[in-house]
Amino acid sequence: MSENVDTTRAPRKVGAPSSALSRILENKHLGWVAFAIALLAPFVTATPYSLNVMTTAAIFVMLASGLNIVVGYCGLLDLGYIAFMAVGAYTAGIVSRTFQLPLIFTIPAVLVMTVLAGLIIGAPTLRLRSDYLAIVTLGFGEITRITANNLSITGGPSGIFGVPGLLQIGDLDLQQPVIFYYVTVLVVSGFVLASARLRGSRLGRAWRFVREDEDAAEAMGIHTYKVKLLAYIFGAVWGGFGGVLFASHLSAVSPQSFVFLQSALVLMAVVLGGMGNMRGVVIGAIVISLLPELLREFSVYRYLAFGLLLVVAMVFRPQGLWPARGFEPERVDGTKIDPALKPTKGSAR
Amino acid sequence: MKFGKRGTALLGIATAVLLVSSGCSGGLLGGGNDSSGSSDTGPIKLGMVAPTSGSSAPTGVYMKNGAQLAVDEINKAGGILDGRKLELIVADGACDAQQAVAAANKLVSSGVAVSVGGYCSGATLPTLPIFAKADVPMIIPAANSQDLVKQGLKNVFLINGTGMQQSTAALEFIKKQGYATVALVDDNTSYSKDITTETQKQIEADGAAKVVLNTSVTAGESDYSAVVRDIMSKNPALVYWTAYYQEGGLVINQLKQAGYSGAIMVADGSVDPSLPKIAGAASEGVFATMTQTPETLEGADAAKWIASYKTAFGADPGPYSTQSYDAVRVAAEAIKKAGNTKGADIIKALEGIDGFKMFSGPLKFTPEHTLSSGGFVILEIKDGKFVLKDSLS
Amino acid sequence: MTQVIWDGLFVGSFYALIALGYSMVYGIIKLLNFAHGDIYMLGAFIGFAALTSVGGIPASLSLVALLIVMLLSMLLTGVAGVVIERLAYRPLRSAPRLAVLITAVGASFSLEYGISAIAGPNPRSFPVRLEGGVFDFIGARISLPQIILMVIAALLMFWLNTYVQRTSTGRAMRSIALDMKGSLLMGVNVDAVITRTFFIGSALAGAAGVMAGAYYGKIDFLMGFIIGLKAFTAAVIGGIGNIKGAMLGGLVLGLVEAIGSDLFGGQWRDVFAFGVLILFLTLRPTGILGERVTERV
Repeated sequence: MSENVDTTRAPRKVGAPSSALSRILENKHLGWVAFAIALLAPFVTATPYSLNVMTTAAIFVMLASGLNIVVGYCGLLDLGYIAFMAVGAYTAGIVSRTFQLPLIFTIPAVLVMTVLAGLIIGAPTLRLRSDYLAIVTLGFGEITRITANNLSITGGPSGIFGVPGLLQIGDLDLQQPVIFYYVTVLVVSGFVLASARLRGSRLGRAWRFVREDEDAAEAMGIHTYKVKLLAYIFGAVWGGFGGVLFASHLSAVSPQSFVFLQSALVLMAVVLGGMGNMRGVVIGAIVISLLPELLREFSVYRYLAFGLLLVVAMVFRPQGLWPARGFEPERVDGTKIDPALKPTKGSAR
Repeated sequence: MKFGKRGTALLGIATAVLLVSSGCSGGLLGGGNDSSGSSDTGPIKLGMVAPTSGSSAPTGVYMKNGAQLAVDEINKAGGILDGRKLELIVADGACDAQQAVAAANKLVSSGVAVSVGGYCSGATLPTLPIFAKADVPMIIPAANSQDLVKQGLKNVFLINGTGMQQSTAALEFIKKQGYATVALVDDNTSYSKDITTETQKQIEADGAAKVVLNTSVTAGESDYSAVVRDIMSKNPALVYWTAYYQEGGLVINQLKQAGYSGAIMVADGSVDPSLPKIAGAASEGVFATMTQTPETLEGADAAKWIASYKTAFGADPGPYSTQSYDAVRVAAEAIKKAGNTKGADIIKALEGIDGFKMFSGPLKFTPEHTLSSGGFVILEIKDGKFVLKDSLS
Repeated sequence: MTQVIWDGLFVGSFYALIALGYSMVYGIIKLLNFAHGDIYMLGAFIGFAALTSVGGIPASLSLVALLIVMLLSMLLTGVAGVVIERLAYRPLRSAPRLAVLITAVGASFSLEYGISAIAGPNPRSFPVRLEGGVFDFIGARISLPQIILMVIAALLMFWLNTYVQRTSTGRAMRSIALDMKGSLLMGVNVDAVITRTFFIGSALAGAAGVMAGAYYGKIDFLMGFIIGLKAFTAAVIGGIGNIKGAMLGGLVLGLVEAIGSDLFGGQWRDVFAFGVLILFLTLRPTGILGERVTERV
């Protein structure tokens, strides 16, 4: 079951990318450029509307980068990813409202709850075959939403509203739209960078091994169950923090925000961006979250187009539109490393 | 951190593009706060967050048309504040919190003076602080959950009867008809749960009837045999369904098939021409608590209103067309009284309104900014149409 | 209690009809056809379009009209299933599972929102209803339409079972399920058999769609989503890939749900169903009737 790589041959060396577009896209400073654009964007337009749209897009990038760990790196299809965001948002909302705390102090609780959620959903299901996993996660996603809708601690169907702001120190209120946007961009960039760095780590390589061939990975001494569970927990934490940002952005959490459609949209961003490829996923997430704002009139056809695009993308490029390059840097003897492959500090790969 | 040549070039280009374009619009450096609604010339903008996509889209169209009709009429009559015209801006909230927040921000950015929208309570709740922060008064025509006014925001006004008032009307009718046992069924949305909770409270406080069942269903399913069985085992004299027509039709039909012979009443979310179609013959004789609709109003004014709606949009008015129409008129009235478009002045004017004529009756706000009288009446389905049964006055 | 059991069995027979298609396709090419629930929805809408275009049908003829429309709908949904297989799944037959699953999600999306774009997002009321008398049977109220629908469902399932067990195509299906390459080498036209499998599975779902429309009276473009999940659950309970298992699983799930919502309240019904799914997958992934198979690599 090899997908991206022809394992029968030695890894190909990276040559200079051919087309101008891919040269730009593969530029190692692209991440910094994107970060700079995100920082400068409010200088172009800072109406409440555009700030709101940009903040939403940034939160969506966060979700996509989390799901990318699960789907892109580890190859586990999660169709209920939004449930983790729900866990994060509800935990943050409930804790902060009960104790009248700024949201920022709920982070430990959110961390604990999302790790727990990852364990609860992952532990029983990760031994299953991948396609069972897909439908079970879908079921879990629905269970989470229905439960939130039926319980009174989660505010029932109206959800939680009047969630306190992120933090306020003197005159500096992090909830100010512009400031909140910058906070979001900073947090999201941090998480995106972290997940990009994870890819190259020992764990990241284990994930890709599991994705490419689980049995071979097992045979090579990788504890596949543990590795998969870790992917799940990482994904859950990413989603949970996305939920905290979401809760403070909307100042409200309601069960309607966590329907299957949302999970599907995040998945779409990951798939269209290129599974496993962090840059692609970020671009995919931005496109998916901004498109509806630009194409309001075509909202009827939006999801139809998304669905068709998924099919077409998979049929013609089963590894995603812009997949991660599926090979390891070739290390001949530890000294001779192609300069293009040298791990560069701080650049998102 | 050293950038490679290409990276520097990229960054340079990006910065240049951003800086050039920032000169011509409302960026952080652009100065000039152009998002305030209190400009003194040009048309006065009214904003409406309504669902124009998603499953509630048809209602969004009814609301939009109703409001547009009022805007056109006022403009034809010469506008307000020395001839300034009104302009209606509709943004799609899709009944979804996130989209509604985006829509509200869009409206605030385009400088609306008053918001006249709000349909789904769940999606309207998170938009309240956005309008409040921008000092924009909200006249909410449809959403009517108690949660909307519980936060005590100064700028929020409800002109649809609240769940509490609807419950009062329901109780009054229950007493009139002498139903001894009542089953309450909602679909676990905030709007419908609000009514069941409130109705149960009022019935229990009153003591004239007994609530034998208060239960919820999940929207979007086809088979409601579980709730039907529950109801049959309690065999109440009245079943009060407080959710929407899509499932309401199914529940009514399945109740009748199961041999339920008592009365059925639905709340205003189920008052839609589709309800009798979905429920079929089973819906004959079903009651509804509803504010006055143009169809149930008697007299020449209502007929004239329906006719002008039809000529303007080529379709019949529907649920919340009248409320949206009234919301615009109330907004215009308040702006006229305030003499300007400053949020605080309009809010003061709204609080001072007394006896302004609306479809649901003369308008006066309570201190909580809800209607002092809900104007709920009882309708009944006859030959597949909702007709007035009891005006409860 | 008899009422609970009867209601559960009635809903379960819908689950069973849809679960069959899931199970057959999965059994033969190990594909989780997410779009299967939406084929059920498509069937309902085809029935709706056909009945609306004919116009007024006298009540005495409604059963006949429904049967004709059901056959038409089965034919068209069958073709739709084949087209989806041809365009979306066949090119990916040797691709990794993840890609195929994502394609299936995409196909499901396309069907749902395609119908929503054509027919509008509002629920539609079905033009022809099954009406009929009601009688008591050991404490349960049973209506004539329910009996008719269950008989149709049972006939369809009986026919399918005979088809798979007795005909040469059925034998070919079973052999592909065991070993696709081997069957190919033994001269089985694998592509043709898979096409036929999709046709039959989709046709059954289409029939269920028309039946649901005629019985419940309301159809909408998302009606297939939840029931698709339930049908999958049913297939897993019975042992996925096993035709009798799918029928049994459907009935069992219907019963479990009815009893569960009787005990805990209707709003927990879906939680109950998915809980059963997760329980089965972790404790007995082969289902009630499934045999233990070691996964081939």
